[in-house]
Amino acid sequence: MTIPSTLGEVLAQQGVSRRALLKYSAYVASILALPAGASRVIAENLAKARRQSVIWLSFQECTGCTESITRSYSPTIEDLIFNLISLDYHHTLMSVSGAAAEHAREAAMRENKGKYIVVVDGSVPVKDGGVYSTIAGQTNLAMLKATAKDALAIVSVGTCAAFGGIPQARPNPTGAVAVSEIITDKPIVNISGCPPIPEAMTGTLAYLLSFGKLPELDHLGRPKAFFGETIHDRCYRRPFYDKGLFAESFDDEGARKGWCLYKVGCKGPIAYNACATLKWNGGTSFPIQSGHGCLGCSEPKFWDQGGFYTPLAAQAGVSGELVGTAAVAGAAMGGAAAWIARRHQRSHLAEVEALDRSPPAKSKG
Amino acid sequence: MIRSNPIAESDRVPPTGLAVVLVREIAARLATFVATGEAAAIDLRSLPMTDGDRRELETILGQGDVSAILTVAGTSEIWETAISGVWWVRHRSVDGHVASEEIVVAHVPDILTTQPDDARDSLARLRSLIENDGAAVQSLRPLDREFAGQTQGGQ
Repeated sequence: MTIPSTLGEVLAQQGVSRRALLKYSAYVASILALPAGASRVIAENLAKARRQSVIWLSFQECTGCTESITRSYSPTIEDLIFNLISLDYHHTLMSVSGAAAEHAREAAMRENKGKYIVVVDGSVPVKDGGVYSTIAGQTNLAMLKATAKDALAIVSVGTCAAFGGIPQARPNPTGAVAVSEIITDKPIVNISGCPPIPEAMTGTLAYLLSFGKLPELDHLGRPKAFFGETIHDRCYRRPFYDKGLFAESFDDEGARKGWCLYKVGCKGPIAYNACATLKWNGGTSFPIQSGHGCLGCSEPKFWDQGGFYTPLAAQAGVSGELVGTAAVAGAAMGGAAAWIARRHQRSHLAEVEALDRSPPAKSKG
Repeated sequence: MIRSNPIAESDRVPPTGLAVVLVREIAARLATFVATGEAAAIDLRSLPMTDGDRRELETILGQGDVSAILTVAGTSEIWETAISGVWWVRHRSVDGHVASEEIVVAHVPDILTTQPDDARDSLARLRSLIENDGAAVQSLRPLDREFAGQTQGGQ
């Protein structure tokens, strides 16, 4: 048997037909919001591409991101991504292999110098030299720097790797920081979320493989295809917001009728993510559909942005009041409310960052 | 044929009117197709549709003469609507959930046609069967039955 050199040949050897690849490409084009006809191009490009070496580093994390991408049920069309990449190292999945796993990482780095992708989940503690999280006797900080040095690109999955996340929440005892605060000379894609939507992770990798470049990113380094609009913009409860119909508590008539959850703390207006369209658990539902407001987990500092059940309007100052006013104003104010919500988000983030700059200060090691 | 998403609280939400708007867009795409032959696709998953909207759109478009079941990496349901040239393509994953769903305006959706690489591969397998005097019969089962049953994480 000849050794396959392209993904098309790899897939053929594994019994995956070109039609299956076309179906996968239709799925990728759909989640990436690419125009009609893109699926054919993706299929052709993937068939010609080489298998991509991926090194997955797990730092200060809860394993939720890995759980999200691998899931535990039967193989799905989305899982075809695992046939397209060579996952040469995954700290969590390979931890029982001990030193052999670390040798595999080093070998992958040597053999694919300048071509491998580093996926990171978890933030990186930098206080006291980074001693608060180590792997094989090496600090996360040192391992990240060494592994990123010859990488093609870095994908920070989860809010912890992308923005610091929960480990960075006040008072941030370990000095946790985002990957982008340490690595500044490599292309970085942030796939935020706690955890991130699996399709956002696999779709971004598929885009990289298909087109050999990063997808278009927003100002926070997130792919616009998944983070270009707020949860609120795409929420099926949005018509109720526009009509001024809100649940006032979790057991009132409004809640039972499925009205907008803005007044019970939903952060949908300031959270950029694709939960409302891609949904979770195989497209079954998402938090708002299950009756709970969005926590805004894909946004920086989401843990420190006030109570999960406190309405945005009540959280901070004048900008918040403006959002509240816009919410009550209803349909005519929809676009203005979105603009104000974005302004509110920036203003609120500035306030949170100002708090972070005050003692106790975080060390950057 | 299963044609609805499972378990949806949004089932109880009445149609939002999106289906009616979509029909106008489909008409515009069909007009272009009739005039120029340019095919088009509208991705339904990217739209904030409730199941009520989906059902309404299905009712409006109706069922045409052709329907097909594709068993590749999960089941796909493809049917021409009562509007000739307008196809509904719903790809399901192995576990049954909807992976992608689109309205395709074309003579035939691309995925229904035989892919040239698959035909080449099949020819090679057929020749192998002939050369081995039937010994390779096992290898002639549809390729993607293997994919559907395989485990994750191939290296």
